[in-house]
Amino acid sequence: MNRIDPLETFRIQPSQKISIQYGRKSYEGVAGDTIAGLLYGNGIRVFSRSLKYHRPRGLYSLDGECSNTMMRVDGMPNVRTENTPARNGMKVTAQNVAGKTADTDPMAFMDKLGFAMPAGFYYRTLHKPAKMWPVAIKKIRKAAGLGVMDPDFRIEGYFDEIYPTADVCVVGGGPAGMTAALAAAAPGLRVILMENRPWLGGVFDYRPAAYEGDLPLYQRAAHLARKIEETPNIRVFTHTAVVGNYNDNLVTAFQRGNETDPFDERYIEIRARSIVVATGCIERPLLFENNDRPGVMQVGCAHRLARTWGLLPGRQAVFSIGDDLGLEAAADLSDLGLEIACVADTRMDGQDETLIDALSRRNIPVYRGWIAYKAHGAKQVKKVTIGPLAGVQRQDIECDLLVASAGLTPLTGLLSTRQVELLFDRHTGFFLPAGLPDGIHTAGRMLGFQDSVKIEISGQLAGMEAAADCGFNAPGEIDSIKVRINAFPGPALGSKIVSAPVKGKKTFICFDEDTTLKNIDQAMADGFDVPELIKRYTSAGTGPGQGGIPGHNLPLYVAQTQQSPDQAPRSTTVRAPLIPTLMATYAGTQHDMCKRTALHDSQVASGGKMERVGVWTRARRFAEDTKALAEIKNVRHNVGMLDASTLGKFRIHGPDALKALQRVYVSDMDKIVDGRVKYSAMCNEDGCIIDDGVVLKQGENDYYFTTSTGRAGQTVEWIRYHTRYDHWDFNIVNLTDACGVINLAGPNARKVLEKVTTADVSNEAFPFVGWRDLTLADCIPARTMRLGFVGELSYEFHVPASYTQTLWNILEAAGKELGIQNFGLEAQNGLRLEKGHLIIGSESEQRTTLHDVGLGFLWDRKPDANTVGAVALTQTEHQKDRLKLVGIKMADASAAAPKDGSAIVDTKFQGYICTARFSEALNEPIGMALVKDALAEPGTELNIYEDSCNGQLLKAIVAKMPFYDSDGSRMKM
Amino acid sequence: MTNKIIRRSPVTFGPKPSTVENRGHWVVALEYEGEGDGPHLIDLSHCPRWDFQDGNLDKFKPVGISIPKQPGICVLSNGTLINRMNGTQAAVWHLSGEATDIPPETGYTDVTDATVFLAIMGRNAFAITEKLSALDLNDPARTPPFLIQGPFSHVPCQIVVMAGDRELPVILLACSRGYAHDMVDAILHAGHEFGLQPAGENVFKKWLEPLK
Repeated sequence: MNRIDPLETFRIQPSQKISIQYGRKSYEGVAGDTIAGLLYGNGIRVFSRSLKYHRPRGLYSLDGECSNTMMRVDGMPNVRTENTPARNGMKVTAQNVAGKTADTDPMAFMDKLGFAMPAGFYYRTLHKPAKMWPVAIKKIRKAAGLGVMDPDFRIEGYFDEIYPTADVCVVGGGPAGMTAALAAAAPGLRVILMENRPWLGGVFDYRPAAYEGDLPLYQRAAHLARKIEETPNIRVFTHTAVVGNYNDNLVTAFQRGNETDPFDERYIEIRARSIVVATGCIERPLLFENNDRPGVMQVGCAHRLARTWGLLPGRQAVFSIGDDLGLEAAADLSDLGLEIACVADTRMDGQDETLIDALSRRNIPVYRGWIAYKAHGAKQVKKVTIGPLAGVQRQDIECDLLVASAGLTPLTGLLSTRQVELLFDRHTGFFLPAGLPDGIHTAGRMLGFQDSVKIEISGQLAGMEAAADCGFNAPGEIDSIKVRINAFPGPALGSKIVSAPVKGKKTFICFDEDTTLKNIDQAMADGFDVPELIKRYTSAGTGPGQGGIPGHNLPLYVAQTQQSPDQAPRSTTVRAPLIPTLMATYAGTQHDMCKRTALHDSQVASGGKMERVGVWTRARRFAEDTKALAEIKNVRHNVGMLDASTLGKFRIHGPDALKALQRVYVSDMDKIVDGRVKYSAMCNEDGCIIDDGVVLKQGENDYYFTTSTGRAGQTVEWIRYHTRYDHWDFNIVNLTDACGVINLAGPNARKVLEKVTTADVSNEAFPFVGWRDLTLADCIPARTMRLGFVGELSYEFHVPASYTQTLWNILEAAGKELGIQNFGLEAQNGLRLEKGHLIIGSESEQRTTLHDVGLGFLWDRKPDANTVGAVALTQTEHQKDRLKLVGIKMADASAAAPKDGSAIVDTKFQGYICTARFSEALNEPIGMALVKDALAEPGTELNIYEDSCNGQLLKAIVAKMPFYDSDGSRMKM
Repeated sequence: MTNKIIRRSPVTFGPKPSTVENRGHWVVALEYEGEGDGPHLIDLSHCPRWDFQDGNLDKFKPVGISIPKQPGICVLSNGTLINRMNGTQAAVWHLSGEATDIPPETGYTDVTDATVFLAIMGRNAFAITEKLSALDLNDPARTPPFLIQGPFSHVPCQIVVMAGDRELPVILLACSRGYAHDMVDAILHAGHEFGLQPAGENVFKKWLEPLK
């Protein structure tokens, strides 16, 4: 590797050698190299093959604006190697080629077939006959593309997330960004400064041009960076790509970690009171024939390769530029040893004459109004044709490097994601904001400023204005800064040249999608006149570079080509993420927040098959048998215990507590009897059932009630919402997590309970639907209810969560000699199904009213309560053609139970199976279904279409419910 | 499984505590091996906590302490912290960890078992919390102790910043008890890079003692 002598601007450690593997060879570089830089220094010029035409592509920019240097690194496809630091031992391969490197590609012949792939190729061809498309799409996908994701690939690394808060967020760590941060931090505000590159400095960082006096720009940048570092209330995130900006100043970004960071990449989300956008400019590509040839690169790329990484970008160069930065770079690179044949400047005038003089002193000819027409060479530039923009003169110059740039284009993506309107400014040639929302400020080169001091002052002004947004207003100072800015010359006149006057067959406006100027012309010939539509028709700007290369040139070219003087260029829409990153980064640390009951560990230890049920983890069953028949049998004939802690549990108290209950429950809660629970339901405004549970009165104006597991999280809001205009005095406490619930069920349940309490729990003293506050095991307070969801003698113990495991253990020990067993959700489901007890959500849906599920008897028609859903309940009470809940049995009792959700059909959809299971008690399948009321009569035959029935409809018969213990005697024993 | 009457915290750290104390039926972890200098994550779930709701909070003085007038304001007195949550609700947290009889007024509800109650304290505590929440816990414009209610690791929480010092920030966090396992896991995971360690109640009490 041939590096130039060390410079102060270097960002490498030449003494620290590293090596990476590319193809079958090992290549050496130094710490600080990027992957592409390291390979470039070792003579690699072709980094990838293009999407469609398999053209060789090389190093073009250094900030990831296109896919040219995307490679596979350590198994990860599409890594932007031009801004990814090289690490010792990395394994790099080329993409979209048959071999390991991109140097040779058997598919290169595709370049000759460009004529067969005009704009809109996908839309216009291969569709007729239609059966051809699936074949064609496979072939196209095989021949085209970028990296290929191995479905078995597991990404390595640690992906973190962070949500810092700031008063002022400054995006862009160049001179304007740094001065903005310092100004905003001066009154003590918390400032965050984010920079895409691994260091601060921006456009000053590598340039030796004078800032003021003899002070070079790079030293000025270092000075500002030191001041930033010394300011404790400025927090700096380098190597951080800002990817979105949303309402209320929400900024999203991701940061790439270095070897000492605890993360590989982390997502950053910042809520700031004010934002300064100082993202500067990138170069606008200059278009000519073969402008994508390896050896063609942008000015900043060539300059930074030398100044930052010590790599001379070539031996003999031609410059074709449209901005003073090109002249400056030519002079500096000449001093560093690059032979420069000439500089073609698209501008006829307006150049900085001191730079022209500097080039003249170095014997570098400058051709004003000239441009590169064509780059020659198969895999690398060998010759360039230049000539005047207006004229026929052409000159071929041999070279291995063509430094080309049409000018600058501001990075306004963050403004676009905030829906800021961008208008074309004819002076600068930039798309500039028509106005800014409150709390957003812009600064620096993105406004067209070129003077270094002015760039800094604009940052200072933006920082002070941002501070003013946060209440630190200094109007006098702001006014004086504005006066200083106005003393400088205005923005420089920008070049609007897009392309040399060429046919455009191999003039690429978008590298990522292999879109040529000819494709754009074809799109316009096909009637597309708006850049936004042309973008979609030609795919220009839809690749991984997110429009970085064509984003500015496309609207300029369209406006110029259409030759409509009234039509100003219109920018295309830019969307987040402005810079693509890994899905793993967005996934972050993936903390799956799930609730566990107080009995979780013991349920697992007992062999519980745990599964996610809403926000909770619960035991589905305890044996391998998916039907849990043994658990069901044990409850029916002995005694079992279920962890029912996920039930919603609430206390409502206060003078108007009863009114609130009357509002949301369909039953008359004034009729609650002391010592007894009241079962009731809640409906929504449409009379559709949304919840059920029990309510008990525990004191004067003091009630305790339960809800289903799924509704627990919404209950407080529901009650508050439906009483919001009443100004009632009541309070609700969510006790869902405060109490564990153990359901002790089965004919032997009382025998177990009697062992742990001295209270009289006989059927007479503690009857069905009664509740008592018992003390179990002498000290555990247990609100105990006699309920019958599973259809047997059953006690529900509501116990402080911290005591729940202890009580479980005590009950388990008390029931040991009886053979007490756990049961889970599957057994509970089968048991309640036999009783015809419904679960809201399983046997109901959005359209299901209280009447539809046969619970209309709960509705007490309270005239003064204004009960939620009462009007709709009245209207739907006798409505025809509704889906009604019915019991079903299979016509063939030996058949399997149909799958939940299976459709019930005749010539039309007539309903569906809600839940169906094999009944242990009946020894046949049973279920519940919602069917059209015409089919709801017992004895009606139903046809069931199951997804695997192969057209053979299953036969079921509507049956009376409950299927088991129809008089309820087992619950009341 | 033993039938000894025990109140269990929803929190179990990996390492076993080296010193415990039986308090009521709670087994309180006082100290862990290798607690180090922090930052620390401390389980305070055994500390009694009450919910208090009434339409006129101003007329009540839980354990003799006036309830702050504004939501978000907290007051610490004699080891008891009162957080004004909204117009009609306040939380009463007994940080000393001692059992206290709940007052007879109907507005009080014992919610000790409703939430997991944790302290994150020590250097970099805010660096840990900002990995899990966008809530501005380190707002210099607010004077500790102050209450913020909102999502922390996606779970609704009550968070009280007790001290915002750079060297020894102290943050209390309460969320639904059911989330205890995943919340502790998320905090320890976020704090790994900063050396976050489980610690016993003693660390917290040592900090609290001078404030009583």
